[in-house]
Amino acid sequence: MKSNRIIIHSILFLYLIILFMGVTSAADNTFDEKIYEGDGYQINNYFIEVSDITIFSEKLMLEITIYQLKPDGSYEELTTSTTITKDKRRVKYQSGSVEIIVNEKNLTSQYTIVDITTAGIVIEYETAVDGGVSNANYIGEPFLTLTKEVDKSNVEIGDIIRVTIKAKNDGNGIAKRISIDQGFTPGFTFKSNIYATYPTELDIDSSFTQMFIYEIEATNSGTFSLSPATASYSSSVFDDDYSSTSNSPSVTVAGEAVETSEIDIEVRADKTKIKRGEKITFTIHVENLKDGPASTIRIDPIIPGSMTYVSGSEDIDIISEKPVIQESVYGAKYEKDYKITLKADEIGYNELIVKLTYNNGTGTVNKEITSDSFYVGKGEFDFLAEYPIYIYVVPVLIIVAIAGWLYWRRSQFRM
Amino acid sequence: MLNVLIIGIGQCGNRILDSINKEAFGGGKLSKYYSRQKFPSRVETIAINTAINDLKEMRYTKAKDRIHIPNLHGLGANRIVGKQCFIENNDMIMRNISERGEFDVAFVISSSSGGTGSSFSPPLIKELKNKYDFPVFSIVVLPFREEGTIYLQNSAFCLKEMRESETDGIILADNQFLKNVGGNIQTAYDGINKMVAERVLFLLEALDSEMMMVTDLGDFKTVMAGGAGFATIGFAKGDNITPIKTVIRDSLSPSGLLFSSNVYEEGSRAMIILRGDRKYLSIDDISSEIDKLSSHIGHVFKGVIIRNGETPQVLSVLTLETTAELDNLYTLAVEAIHMEKEKRSRMAIRKEADAIFSKIDGLEPEY
Repeated sequence: MKSNRIIIHSILFLYLIILFMGVTSAADNTFDEKIYEGDGYQINNYFIEVSDITIFSEKLMLEITIYQLKPDGSYEELTTSTTITKDKRRVKYQSGSVEIIVNEKNLTSQYTIVDITTAGIVIEYETAVDGGVSNANYIGEPFLTLTKEVDKSNVEIGDIIRVTIKAKNDGNGIAKRISIDQGFTPGFTFKSNIYATYPTELDIDSSFTQMFIYEIEATNSGTFSLSPATASYSSSVFDDDYSSTSNSPSVTVAGEAVETSEIDIEVRADKTKIKRGEKITFTIHVENLKDGPASTIRIDPIIPGSMTYVSGSEDIDIISEKPVIQESVYGAKYEKDYKITLKADEIGYNELIVKLTYNNGTGTVNKEITSDSFYVGKGEFDFLAEYPIYIYVVPVLIIVAIAGWLYWRRSQFRM
Repeated sequence: MLNVLIIGIGQCGNRILDSINKEAFGGGKLSKYYSRQKFPSRVETIAINTAINDLKEMRYTKAKDRIHIPNLHGLGANRIVGKQCFIENNDMIMRNISERGEFDVAFVISSSSGGTGSSFSPPLIKELKNKYDFPVFSIVVLPFREEGTIYLQNSAFCLKEMRESETDGIILADNQFLKNVGGNIQTAYDGINKMVAERVLFLLEALDSEMMMVTDLGDFKTVMAGGAGFATIGFAKGDNITPIKTVIRDSLSPSGLLFSSNVYEEGSRAMIILRGDRKYLSIDDISSEIDKLSSHIGHVFKGVIIRNGETPQVLSVLTLETTAELDNLYTLAVEAIHMEKEKRSRMAIRKEADAIFSKIDGLEPEY
């Protein structure tokens, strides 16, 4: 019996505790504020303004207005009810579960002290505001800009890379309850946290804040885009959850060192100035500077449109009417010269571009080199083309006519 | 305008005809390519030869004006073969001439000594005289005397047959007389050909030009009808200080004549044509000099062609009553004929020698 009484008392006690907690969570936040005339107090996007304090018939009169702030910067005066008990004013706004009650506690000619009680509002932001509702700021949605930075982007296997994650609130609401997923990337091993203290809340227009600094070790070769970091956060003003994603920095991890080749190429012309119709010979000098062999070598001299290919070394093939040099292998330190002779067709500056493609042991390498510029001047007989055609046609016709006449005349006297 | 036919036969006739054509073009080596022939009359020229090479050598005579007697390469100076050949080709030659229209006068030029010229000229002249009414004059070139016996005898018989062919006159040119033209034989031949050509062209101009004092074809025929039927032509060229009398005398002197002749003693009739600027042609001096000539030989026709700016030139045509040089030629010709007869006799002896060889007829050498 006694034990039943204990159980009943315990259950009753728990009920009272739960009941007490429920009343508390149902609302009530109370603020005891001293507010001067013309100033106000912002709670989330509600604004309680002490609009006017006047003396009427030697009595102090108080006017309090409650506003709703809008995202576009405007505000709306909410319908309120005002009651006066014992010369003390009580202003009440109620809409649904939201209730705001302002009780005047004390009033002077310059300020009032009020009790503000709210219900049905999770207070995320509250502050006194000088200058009334026009100076209040709308509390909106937060937006975090997240960055992920690496201290090196080209490493070899086994190298340590330091990663820094930063965040900044570019929204117009406070970001709260921030949690960050660092976004680890396959091919890298987490080594250590350097810095992991970050705020759980970021104000609007805050500068970048270091959230995480940690180190990873490259374990595989290749070029990787690191997985982005992801931030999850919320704002109680709006009952939504938010997330932001960082950039993905690229990191190239070289494999084990391979013996490669490197071909150096030069183009030299035997003349710097020629006449139209003359020939110019280029020497294409190639040299494998390293100890590894180069393979699948192809050299394409790009003949300028104003020149014609005349001849070249016996190693030069003509493919699709274009000269091409193709070699299977250049051994270590291998050197070779190729000659190519062109004829100038037009006047002007020209240069020979030579494209080189080869496999250096790890992949295909492309190079392009351009000869020194050379000038093609007027040909020996180009001045003839400067005269109008009749200058040549007329004498030719005369000569033909004379020759015809002589032939005809001679035939008259030949037997 | 006179219609003139000039026929050159054989190598000599062809060359003189070619030279006439060349002079008509202006005389330059290439003149045929840029110039037209400046004959005063309508002149048709025909070259006839049995040797095609002689015809091919001609440079200023059109190919259509050359007649080759087919299947022959010269006659070898044999007039008997030549005359037979002419008979066989007479129709072809006369048809070619008749296709060239009407003529007022004809000149037949040939040598008296060669094969084709000497054997074709007399019968051709005879054919022309039979078929046409126009006068036919022959210009005959006599050979160098040392050229050989055949040429001498050919000349003798050719001239004789020419006289019998009813030609209206034979104008003689003598290579022997003219060989002082100088140079080698070829140069001499070329010079003689050019001399003959110049005189023929001057004569044609005299027969067919407007003149201050007129001579015409009738005058020429009268002159050529005089004497023994032989004539020659003289020519002289003065300068701007030589008196016209001197130039006339020069044309009648051995240096101006084509044939050796003592004009004042052997001449029968003459025609003197003067050409040049009026200031050089004093009528009084001309009359005076021509009167002197006519007092010796009889009638002399004279003509004057005015050419402003030209120095005086004189052409004289003379017919001859007698000619000592022709006598000399015939004397030599007779000797030549005898020599040829002797050669014939010696040939008979050679035939006896041939009989010696007949002793081995039918035998073969044994080895």
